[in-house]
Amino acid sequence: MSSSPAHSARKEHPFTDSTEPNLLDDVFDYSLPPKIRFDGPIVEYIDGQPVQFDPQAVKKRDIHITDTTFRDGQQARPPYSIEQMVHLYDLLAKLSGPNGVIRQTEFFLYTKNDRETLDRCRALGHKYPECTGWIRADKGDFRLVREAGLKETGLLTSSSDYHIFNKLKFKSHKHCMDAYCEVVEAAFESNVRPRCHLEDVTRADWDGFVLPFVDRLMRMSEQVPEELSCKIRICDTMGFGVHFPGVELPRSVPKIVYKLNQECGVPSERLEWHGHNDFHRVHANGTTAWMYGCNALNATLFGFGERTGNPPLEGAIIDYISLKEDLCGIRTEVITEIADYMRSIHFPIPDNYPLVGRHFNTTRAGIHAGGLRQDERIYNIFDTTVLLNRPPRVNLTDKSGADGVAHWINEFFGLKGDDRINKIKCHKVARWVMDQYEVHKRETSISDEELEVKVQELMPEYWEKYAPRR
Amino acid sequence: MASVLERVVRVTATVLRLDPAEIKPEHRFSADLGAESVQSIELVAMFEEEFGIEMNEDDALSVESVGAAADFIAKVCEAQGVKV
Repeated sequence: MSSSPAHSARKEHPFTDSTEPNLLDDVFDYSLPPKIRFDGPIVEYIDGQPVQFDPQAVKKRDIHITDTTFRDGQQARPPYSIEQMVHLYDLLAKLSGPNGVIRQTEFFLYTKNDRETLDRCRALGHKYPECTGWIRADKGDFRLVREAGLKETGLLTSSSDYHIFNKLKFKSHKHCMDAYCEVVEAAFESNVRPRCHLEDVTRADWDGFVLPFVDRLMRMSEQVPEELSCKIRICDTMGFGVHFPGVELPRSVPKIVYKLNQECGVPSERLEWHGHNDFHRVHANGTTAWMYGCNALNATLFGFGERTGNPPLEGAIIDYISLKEDLCGIRTEVITEIADYMRSIHFPIPDNYPLVGRHFNTTRAGIHAGGLRQDERIYNIFDTTVLLNRPPRVNLTDKSGADGVAHWINEFFGLKGDDRINKIKCHKVARWVMDQYEVHKRETSISDEELEVKVQELMPEYWEKYAPRR
Repeated sequence: MASVLERVVRVTATVLRLDPAEIKPEHRFSADLGAESVQSIELVAMFEEEFGIEMNEDDALSVESVGAAADFIAKVCEAQGVKV
């Protein structure tokens, strides 16, 4: 591509008038999250050479989500009770559906409560998510994994020199690598698959440590049965990863995945991305890892995790559907059920949080409410009523206008199509709303409870007709 | 009996709190008489009540001036069999 595309790429774009809207409803078909389509290869320069990636491949690969709500998610909050974790695990299984889109979830194994939680979750009998463990890189900890009867455990193999030298006080890369490999060997001997967590890999010395270490892990894996071979979790511990092409290592998500997948030979099914949100890139980075050859995306419910959090699991679910162009057995409405449960146990979810916040599909501007009233697709991302059990709503303020009031009233009564009440009939309520601001100088939005009282008072004929059937 | 235009002027004056004598047929509700969004809705609702008719929301709200409103309402009354 020229460095001056404004000059070299200019061309005429002929105008053909149309009297019919082109709603692009193959991509935005409303019954699904909008599909993600590709129209060509992605090119990334690796060691100075152009490498093509076929983005269509992600539609066929067995990409999936792994959960760390009970591990990383729990590091950022007071512990969940056993009952809460068992219930959340049950909901994750329900959300995942029969195809194991949420393939695994990991548990601490250190306390009696950790082990009881694990036992009770497994006793539910769900095939997915499979329960795995998480331990420090300590040979003695494999006893815990064995006693818990787990087939796989994550173990910390911190990879940046910040950790190797400054935290763990190893004398050299070799000293560190030998120590890690001893633990991996212990895992093999315990008949447990090790999942090596390359902690802080986005500011690690790739040529000096990461690549030779993973090469060695792959050589070790060749000596054991396939079901024991090492998995690699790519840990963007500080959120330094960058998803767009052209970025150099160690921050480039595309290059990280390529190097491990193609140069070290870690198969896609044994590669996992684990991110953090310190620079607001966590979700894009996770999906990007999928795109470039990593099959597993590690996530937490509502992105809650250490410091700024992890890839939000529900966001990964939506991108999964967008990429696969199919629900694949996922029960998306359970996202709302989980959010309601989390609120009931005092888990904070901001009102504007995507997909589950109280106001994620609530509009306040009257002109938007007018659009919603005419065709809800205009201001709603997809059929949130069906997919998330959350109809689009309006929140009333002085900006809502009569359109907003009419939309609220129709949603309140659950009226569809020709049954919907036009805004002329809502004028008394609209006037009351405006007077709150113009006359009474109100500064807060109007609650649903207040509005319900006013509809009953000012539209008694409609209240009598429709309220009983709510 | 007052004409349709006189009744439209009276309702308009009441809703917009204006002196009826100042309202002319050529006056536009929004640009000349200062009707705001909710007041436009109230005007249509009050015209419906005054004349005992039902108006199409979008058609009614697209009428711009007092005189045009009187003409529009007269036609709706005729179509709905309401004597004016």
